[in-house]
Amino acid sequence: MTRFRRQLLIGSFLLSLVSVLAVMVHWRFNRTLPNYAYLTGWVLFAAMTLLAVYNARKKIPFLPLGSSEAWMQIHVYAGFFTVVPFLIHLNFHVPAGWFEGTLAWLYVLVTASGIAGLILSRVLPRRLSTRGGEVIYEKIPAIRHDLRLQAEALALGAETKSPVIAEFYARQLSVFFAGPKNFWRHLLESRQPLNAVIVELEELRRYLNDQERAVLEKLAQLARRKDGLDYHHALQTALKLWLFIHVPLTYSLMIFSLVHIVLVYAFSGGAR
Amino acid sequence: MPPTPPIVERPQRWDAAFDPAMTDADVDRLLSIPPFSKMSPEKFPSRTPLREILRHDASIRRYRKGEIIVRQGDYGTSAFLILSGATRVVLKPDLPPSLLGRQAPVKKGIFRTLAQFWSDRRPPESFRRAQLRQDANVGARQNENEEVRVFLQDLPRVLDKHRTEEMTAGDVFGEIAALSRMPRTSTIFAASDTADLLEIRWQGLRDLMRFDNQLRQHIDQIYRARALASYLRATPMFRHLTKEQLDQVAAQIEFATYGDYDWSGEYKRLAQAGSVRPEKEPVIVQEGDYPNGVVLLRAGFARVSRKFGSGERTLNYIGAGQFFGLDEIAHNWRHPQQPVNVRYSLRAIGYTHLLIVPTRVMEQLVLPTLTAKELPPPVSLAADEPDVRAAERPNENVRDQVGGDVLEFLTENRFFNGTAAMVIDLDRCTRCDDCVRACASTHDNNPRFLRHGPSSGRLMIANACMHCADPVCMIGCPTGAIHRESFAGQVVINPVTCIGCKACYNHCPYDAIRMVDIRDETGEFMVGEDLKPISKATKCDLCVENHGGPACERACPHGALTRMNLNDLETLAQWMKR
Amino acid sequence: MSEQLPAPDFDSQNYERPNQKWICGHAAEGKPCRPGPSARGRCQATFECAPVLEKKEGEPKGRWRCTRPGGACETGPLPDGTCCRPIPKCSPLPTLRTRRGQFTLAVVTATVAALLILLGSPPLRTKFINPGELSTPHSSDAFAKRARSNQVDQTCGACHKAGALGPSGMTAAAFHASPGPLEIIKLAQARTAEMTAIDESCQRCHTGHVFHQPNVVRDISCSFCHAEHNGAGPIAATTDAHCGFCHGEADVMAAASLKGTTFPPDVFHVARGQNVFQAARPPGGFTNILARFAEHPEFRVHADKLRDSNTLKFNHALHVAGETIPKLPGGRGLDCAFCHQPEAAGVYFQRIRFENHCQVCHSLQFDPETPGLTLPHGNPEFVSAFLHSLPRQYADLAARSGMTRTEEQQRFAREKLERLQARVTTGEDLERRVFFSTATDGPETRLGSVSGGTHSLYPGCAYCHEVKSGAQHKAEITRPILFERWLPRGEFTHAKHSGVACAQCHPAATSKDTGDIILPTQRSCVSCHSASGGVSDSCATCHTYHKSPSARR
Repeated sequence: MTRFRRQLLIGSFLLSLVSVLAVMVHWRFNRTLPNYAYLTGWVLFAAMTLLAVYNARKKIPFLPLGSSEAWMQIHVYAGFFTVVPFLIHLNFHVPAGWFEGTLAWLYVLVTASGIAGLILSRVLPRRLSTRGGEVIYEKIPAIRHDLRLQAEALALGAETKSPVIAEFYARQLSVFFAGPKNFWRHLLESRQPLNAVIVELEELRRYLNDQERAVLEKLAQLARRKDGLDYHHALQTALKLWLFIHVPLTYSLMIFSLVHIVLVYAFSGGAR
Repeated sequence: MPPTPPIVERPQRWDAAFDPAMTDADVDRLLSIPPFSKMSPEKFPSRTPLREILRHDASIRRYRKGEIIVRQGDYGTSAFLILSGATRVVLKPDLPPSLLGRQAPVKKGIFRTLAQFWSDRRPPESFRRAQLRQDANVGARQNENEEVRVFLQDLPRVLDKHRTEEMTAGDVFGEIAALSRMPRTSTIFAASDTADLLEIRWQGLRDLMRFDNQLRQHIDQIYRARALASYLRATPMFRHLTKEQLDQVAAQIEFATYGDYDWSGEYKRLAQAGSVRPEKEPVIVQEGDYPNGVVLLRAGFARVSRKFGSGERTLNYIGAGQFFGLDEIAHNWRHPQQPVNVRYSLRAIGYTHLLIVPTRVMEQLVLPTLTAKELPPPVSLAADEPDVRAAERPNENVRDQVGGDVLEFLTENRFFNGTAAMVIDLDRCTRCDDCVRACASTHDNNPRFLRHGPSSGRLMIANACMHCADPVCMIGCPTGAIHRESFAGQVVINPVTCIGCKACYNHCPYDAIRMVDIRDETGEFMVGEDLKPISKATKCDLCVENHGGPACERACPHGALTRMNLNDLETLAQWMKR
Repeated sequence: MSEQLPAPDFDSQNYERPNQKWICGHAAEGKPCRPGPSARGRCQATFECAPVLEKKEGEPKGRWRCTRPGGACETGPLPDGTCCRPIPKCSPLPTLRTRRGQFTLAVVTATVAALLILLGSPPLRTKFINPGELSTPHSSDAFAKRARSNQVDQTCGACHKAGALGPSGMTAAAFHASPGPLEIIKLAQARTAEMTAIDESCQRCHTGHVFHQPNVVRDISCSFCHAEHNGAGPIAATTDAHCGFCHGEADVMAAASLKGTTFPPDVFHVARGQNVFQAARPPGGFTNILARFAEHPEFRVHADKLRDSNTLKFNHALHVAGETIPKLPGGRGLDCAFCHQPEAAGVYFQRIRFENHCQVCHSLQFDPETPGLTLPHGNPEFVSAFLHSLPRQYADLAARSGMTRTEEQQRFAREKLERLQARVTTGEDLERRVFFSTATDGPETRLGSVSGGTHSLYPGCAYCHEVKSGAQHKAEITRPILFERWLPRGEFTHAKHSGVACAQCHPAATSKDTGDIILPTQRSCVSCHSASGGVSDSCATCHTYHKSPSARR
């Protein structure tokens, strides 16, 4: 058995075990333990704090605080686990108040974005490496610029002297080479954008002489490279974009949780 | 036989002389003193006459008192002959790293660890002036040839504290390190006001040995005496031998050196031209030949391959400490009626220094002492199924485990050299750059690698220092700034003594070293007296100063990055299947 | 050659620095400037080099020297020492991660601002932090009025001290709470009986902390069972788990049972309503461990085979199914609902009254020939007096039936008396018959009915009542007690069971004896009140925890 599979197995097993235990503890103490809601609340808050602290761990890589991979594993499984105390704490009801409703929705959004991020993090890298054309994200604009210059030199340069290609480039390809394109289609693994360009280039072939056809061939090659770059741009962006929900809302969630704790204690008594 | 055209072919390797300043007078002077006066020039072939060797492969160097000639732990390419003056070799205790222009291997204390919390405010590659100040005990100066020499400033104190021994005119040192590509075993400095030494680069030394028996015997004897016995004793194959038997073995062992000492430069050129092919590598043992002896790799790497179609299929590569050919010899010894020939070819990749234990010695002395268990299993006689059997012996054929494409990829890029290569699994890597940021925050806000590099399938070997088994970068560092950490052997650069000469940068075939222009704390670029920017060679130091190991590996959330000894393909195979 | 795209070429001579927050604006064209942006994202580009002033001895001014990387430029520095090659300025771009940081900061700011606004202003705050609608009683005007009279805030402050405070006051209150926010161990160790601040608020109106049994060994605070803010309507019901907190624990029940022995038995009597059938308390008390209603023991009336102690003779079977029962006026047959009429609330039934339910048939017409004259009901003294004043009664009847003249009335009375005297020997005989006769041994006389459709029969008081002969042979009628509550520890709403025929639970058709207690058994309740029956089987379905205020001792 491979290590990742073993991790998955042990993690899932522990997750289900702890969840079942939590539910059993819930059955046992649900109505019998005074301050039960406080206790489930603290369990939930402790788990959420553990999850949030991962961000802090990432900011201090120079301290020997355990590997990020271990943290990530804990983060994932503890994240899934919080669903149990969350539901118990809410007593399996949608909260009626505005404040508590917002708090619950924040939790749901953070958790959902986390799960989405986990799926993206497991699926997209494989697709990236399968397609190849590995590139550093920050270098993409410069490479795109370079490709555009090359394409322009080919199509519009003095050596080519092909009005057909120049016209075609100005009309169709210049837009394609101008910036990142086809974000969603690449994310959905569609080959349509590149095919469209190639088909148009093929279409053009019949109007060209041999010398121009060679230029066209080179242009097609550049278009393929640009498409690969777009692919990387789209997928690598997606790998970073989900954090735009996960991280900011985590801060909101933690602020709301703290205010919630203050409110509960200020209005203490009565919550079960 | 057609007449030989009267053209003297200029040997290629002498395109660039070791020291262009060598004059005929210098060579004449050398030829008049021993050991060169005792050599017979007629024994040298016309392509490499003694005179030309001295002219192109040697250099006369003058050292002033206190200047370090060879540094303990350095990798040197040349041997030295003392012409005049005196030098001293440091015996015990070793000189402290600070005296050799190195950093003392210390872990960061609590304060320096915590100080990293706010180091990310600093401009990139910035140094405080105090950080660049030389250690008071060690100085560096340039001589008239713009050569940088490191010297011991407080010589009396060194002599007082350390036991040293004098070496005088006629003494030779550094030849073993030069030929076997081993680190220098001790530090030697000039002890008289001036000391003239003849530095011979290893190619010259090799040729001199080849054509002068006396020198060869002399050096062989030194080699056998100093290095071989202890090496053999540590080799498991010889562990049952008595001391006398071991001496006998040592006396009959043959040495061989293959490939080019500066293979990395050559390799870089070939790789850029896209013409790295196993067929061009020098053959050590040819598939199908009679097994002459067991090959022990002392330094460097060799490729184990087998004919496949019209090409060669790499099955494995072996590195220092591993051996080749025992199976066949053991088989022939046990089953003399069914002799087999060598089943695989062994080719030198880059530079290879090896020992050959002749078959006769093996049969007479070594094999009888081995127990049945220690002997390799018999070779299968069905010639077309060696792979099946090899699969049972994991060290022999890892091709199936890691995949042929990966093996060719690693071999073609010479990645087997890396003991701590940064291997990234692109199927897991989310390109989050946490590794790079972790690296930066452990190195004063400066990353020390590029998260990019050659890749094959899902494997990427990033441009991060691999801490090579054979660190070609260390050859030719004039100040010893790039050195091996004495404790765990990481290759590190001391920024204080680095003079930005780019020697290591040019040597590294893996693009792991980058030159950076340094700045002061305000972010202004520093400029030297020559009005040129001051640049330093930088690279991964495997977080030698940090607690908890390499930050990059620990920072990867998805277990996609690891630092790995690529000479151990089983680990790689396991990691890929994890 | 694999099908993978080759990695694109780019300048890899320099480190990629994702740790820097800003990227040079020229990087997108592949030409980032050498200094790069500052940590705060300002362009730091000035000139390609910073010339150095080189002074040689004897020279007064010195010379500016170019320090450009990659060799000095051709023109060299300007006379004032500035480089001749300025780098075009750019606007540095934030990295995607920096943008994320900025966005995060914005979200955090927005969150804090929204919280400050919503918590800062009292009307918004009340609406914002209210975790749910209050129960109807606690949101009524009456409650507000009561809060006003208690001189507390009429909104949150009525129950929560912090309700009237602002954000800082709330924070202070939170840290003064007991147990405080940092005393988590104390939370777990808290006892169920501990009255928290909120319980004290409850008790301001709900005075006293009254329990259902005096032998309770595990005290419980209000808020342990009752949760507010769960929506309008009555305050949310408790669950079986609350009951199980004691009734699910063997040791608690054993202790309660033991404690019960220290009280006189009558303290456990339930006095709800007027006529409550008191079953004897079992020796161990009602301290059973139950998990669900199906495990509930049989009701005591059945378990102990108790008998109705009522002295009234009533044959349910006869009345419900007897063929001899005549039709009622209007042609209606006798059914359960004729006698058992629901109360206004529909929970129980109105008390059975002779006048309302019996008289229509049992008219107490003692003179078979005089339908209009009936005996008074309710008091034997009155009956005696009535019999002793018979002439007067006949005369009154005559007056009531339209005879205006006195002689006429007297004649009517005389005639009637004579006819009556023909039937009975003496006045004592009449009185004895009226009191002690039963249907079986009374005179077999059919009497004309008022409407002519029905017949009324008067065999004597003893036909229904227990009549005893007291001192001086005076008749004494034991006062019948018709029990109105049989299972006083539970509640039963008949209206909710209107879909079920009476006979399904009450076997009236087979009961011939007053002593039969024709209540359903626990089994028959379980047939619906169980998980399989689909009807609620929680404890609170039948039982209420608290004693009603009127029942307190």
